[in-house]
Amino acid sequence: MSRLFRIRAAGIGAALILAVGGSLASADERQDVERGRELYREKCAMCHAAGGMGTGLLSRRYPKGQELLENRTDLDPAFIATAVRGGIGNMPRIARGEVSDAELALISKYLTRRERN
Amino acid sequence: MALVPPPGLTVAAFERALRAFASVVGDEWVFATDEDRATYSDHFAIDEEAHRPGAAVAPITVEEIQAIVRLANEHKVPLWPISRGKNFGYGGAAPRLRGSVVLDLSRMKKIEVDVENGTALVEPGVGFYDLYDYIQRNKIPLWLSVPGNSWGSVCGNALDRGVGYTTYGDHTSKICGLEVVLPDGDLVRTGMGAMSNAPTWQLYRYGYGPAWDQMFVQSNFGIVTKLGLWMMREPETMVGIDMEFDKPDDLEWIVDTVAPLRREGILQQSPSIGSWLRGAAVLTTRAEWYDKPGALPDSVIDAIRRKFNMGWWSLSMRFYGPEEITEATAKVVRRAFNGRPVLSIKDSKWKQGDPPELSAWAGVPITFPLQNANWHGGRGGHIGFSPVLPANGRLALEQFHRTYARYKEFGMDYHGSFAMGERHITNVNQVLFNKDDPEMMARVDRFFRTLVEDAKKYGYGEYRTHLDYMDLVAWTYDFNDRALLRLNEKVKNALDPNGILAPGKSGIWPARYAEHRDVGGKA
Repeated sequence: MSRLFRIRAAGIGAALILAVGGSLASADERQDVERGRELYREKCAMCHAAGGMGTGLLSRRYPKGQELLENRTDLDPAFIATAVRGGIGNMPRIARGEVSDAELALISKYLTRRERN
Repeated sequence: MALVPPPGLTVAAFERALRAFASVVGDEWVFATDEDRATYSDHFAIDEEAHRPGAAVAPITVEEIQAIVRLANEHKVPLWPISRGKNFGYGGAAPRLRGSVVLDLSRMKKIEVDVENGTALVEPGVGFYDLYDYIQRNKIPLWLSVPGNSWGSVCGNALDRGVGYTTYGDHTSKICGLEVVLPDGDLVRTGMGAMSNAPTWQLYRYGYGPAWDQMFVQSNFGIVTKLGLWMMREPETMVGIDMEFDKPDDLEWIVDTVAPLRREGILQQSPSIGSWLRGAAVLTTRAEWYDKPGALPDSVIDAIRRKFNMGWWSLSMRFYGPEEITEATAKVVRRAFNGRPVLSIKDSKWKQGDPPELSAWAGVPITFPLQNANWHGGRGGHIGFSPVLPANGRLALEQFHRTYARYKEFGMDYHGSFAMGERHITNVNQVLFNKDDPEMMARVDRFFRTLVEDAKKYGYGEYRTHLDYMDLVAWTYDFNDRALLRLNEKVKNALDPNGILAPGKSGIWPARYAEHRDVGGKA
């Protein structure tokens, strides 16, 4: 086997590993984001979908379109957790019985999803 | 934030109890950090510390609840059951007695719907949005009745005598059958549910012998784990009439016009006659109109009304059913208003097949009305003062003038409505405040107590109230040396000798914690 071939083969192998690994990671992430989206719809959309209290109040402070949290690109997990557990403005604090830490992490993944940012 | 155990318990004894609860539900469902105590507190409260819980525990099955109740008896720990804890304005998730353990039932989300009979059987964690989504997902031709802020629990709302806007809006009257864990951990089903496998549990309310459903409403006699509720068939049509009225004193004739329509069953939904601020506070903030303290002057009220083309009062009525009936009803109602100085009238009509009307009149859950808590800016909030009046125009107007004068005296913006029952009015007055304004917050408590005292002079009692005022309001029900309160407490002590279940709820105190009753001074 030529050195060049070995290098090429190794390169292809590495690329394959990266591709497979990457797509696996990506599949997990997509699954988390999808679950986060479902949880967001279940737990948050009552206020943060169109017509909800949160959307109405945020529309007073953000440009059109940005009042919907799902459209925002400036959210980060720490801010989301602070707002959820500590409340913000009119938003009440959300207890762990209603949204567990694990669920909050998934919701956060959805609101900060990479493919949108 | 210091850990406050329930009265009579050391921190060590309390922690032993929490470990015992964790042995039932698992460590992950016992919440006892400072952050947890804050999340289960009442963010609208004048003084959050007064109702700070010691911890929370979140079971998911009836068996877990029974086990926790037995342990609470053993460890002498008071529990404060909540369904979803969204009863904002009345205390949210927070307990009446500081240090109590919140029994959070929001994970219990089972739903059963009997489509043919138009009934639902729901667990406490089922929110209006959950039930709405379930109905939509399964294409069930039933409508909900939802309150103006619909993020709460279907079960919890009915158990607190919450109201909605359709003909099924008196939610507590639509309860049909409960499953309840009693304070000793026993499990009972009311009505026909007392018979094993009865197919009529959600169909006939009373069963055989005494009927107990209302015993578990606004009470601390048991933990409701399932609630049967009647639901409305999707109507063929919904016809609406919205009216605006120009003058505050129009209230008298509006009430006298609507009252007979309600009494005779022509108008089957409970319309609410609401003041201008009801809309303005949702759509705008006070700073957009006025930057001075004190109640808004008439010139500003006029400017707001002009901007939104609204009356001093507004009234929305809805009729449901076959078109022949709804159209005929609308005709009769319009005739009743003939010759009256109505500022404006708007008609509406929805028919099956039309796009859904996204409103509480169509049973669609909403949250936007709570934007009104932002009226003052800052961390907003509200409490409600809601005396029950006779359905009589003169008496309603007199009560309005008394209340309005107090709003002005205390420098608060009037936000009142008169919800027309079949033979009564529930006069809901929202007190909107800004928690970031200490001077305003200092006024709110005195203001509220004054309103209660004023109403009591005329024999008007509240139908529901915030944690801070449960004792005060219970005390106003004073016939025969408060015989009803004494009866409630006899029952309480018989069922719950250790006083573990929601001590102080609706002013009902078990003997064990009786010294915590507070009818006069600060909460």
